[in-house]
Amino acid sequence: MSTINFAAREINCKIVYYGPGMSGKTTNLRHVFSKVPGHLRGEMVSLATEDERTLFFDFLPLDLGTVQGFKTRFHLYTVPGQVFYNASRKLILRGVDGIVFVADSSPNRLRANAESMRNLRENLAEHGIDVREVPIVLQVNKRDIEGALPTDMIRAVIDPRRELILFEATAHNGGGVFETLKSVSKLVLDRLSQNK
Amino acid sequence: MIEPSLALYGDAFERVDGHLEELLGATGVRYCLLVDRKGFVLSHKEALWAPRPPALDSVATLVASNAAATAALANMLGERTFSEQIHQGEQGTLYVESVGDSALLTLIFDVSVPLGRVKVHTKKTIAQVAAILVELEAAPPVQFSDDFSSGANALLDDLFG
Repeated sequence: MSTINFAAREINCKIVYYGPGMSGKTTNLRHVFSKVPGHLRGEMVSLATEDERTLFFDFLPLDLGTVQGFKTRFHLYTVPGQVFYNASRKLILRGVDGIVFVADSSPNRLRANAESMRNLRENLAEHGIDVREVPIVLQVNKRDIEGALPTDMIRAVIDPRRELILFEATAHNGGGVFETLKSVSKLVLDRLSQNK
Repeated sequence: MIEPSLALYGDAFERVDGHLEELLGATGVRYCLLVDRKGFVLSHKEALWAPRPPALDSVATLVASNAAATAALANMLGERTFSEQIHQGEQGTLYVESVGDSALLTLIFDVSVPLGRVKVHTKKTIAQVAAILVELEAAPPVQFSDDFSSGANALLDDLFG
């Protein structure tokens, strides 16, 4: 459930970009940061290693504007994708309102995609949450790399029941980035209006 | 969902604000923030003489994440929690203390301000604010009118095309 401040008339929602290492989660946030006008976003904070791999998280606050008198603010986070940072991933999932799962189209990353989705389910379960309770959008990134796996093949290991909304993306040039963000934002705000 | 959510209604918000204002006056700190465990600022006060604060969104996120990581460490060491964090630099101090399970009180102050004084007054404020947050748990569920969703969709169309 989002944080709602009636006195200040604010709604605050947390969206987390999840997925295997190097799938393009940080690239998504960097693109949003570079394109959204300065007055609608705050500073981007990246807690990364010296070689620019996410160590804890990236963070970008966005002001969407006002809905029915409520200033609506989204906090976008990425998790560290590398397998051994699972403790950090668990912490970042706390309080999540919506998730973008960023899958990698590279031919050698099919298993990594599947393992990351399984890890997401496990980490949500540790917080007592069924993966179906949280709005999730699937972004299949790196569609322009040589030998990119078919989207259906990637989906088959991540979302075999075809329940998630899916977007193809090339986040390095912004392709699909805002479509994905808009979709997950809509799911989160719809859910809020349904009072779930 | 995963974390308890907070909804601060008018009266509660004003009372929290009042307690933070008192704390600011009694301690001489620069900035005083009540942050929820998700990293959102619930209330914020700053001394009139203080320079413009750093980006509060970023401060709140880093404080909440730091608290979450510290709590995970506490659990690994067999502690229920480490309730306070103190980060002291050459110029100033960041002091964070838990307010129940749902919020964190964060104070930023100059080295000239005695930490002991801050701690004593903070304990009192935490008891007051924690009592208000407990009251809020009994508040009625949040209801938005039916056209909230259409308003939100229009906003997203405007922003993202």
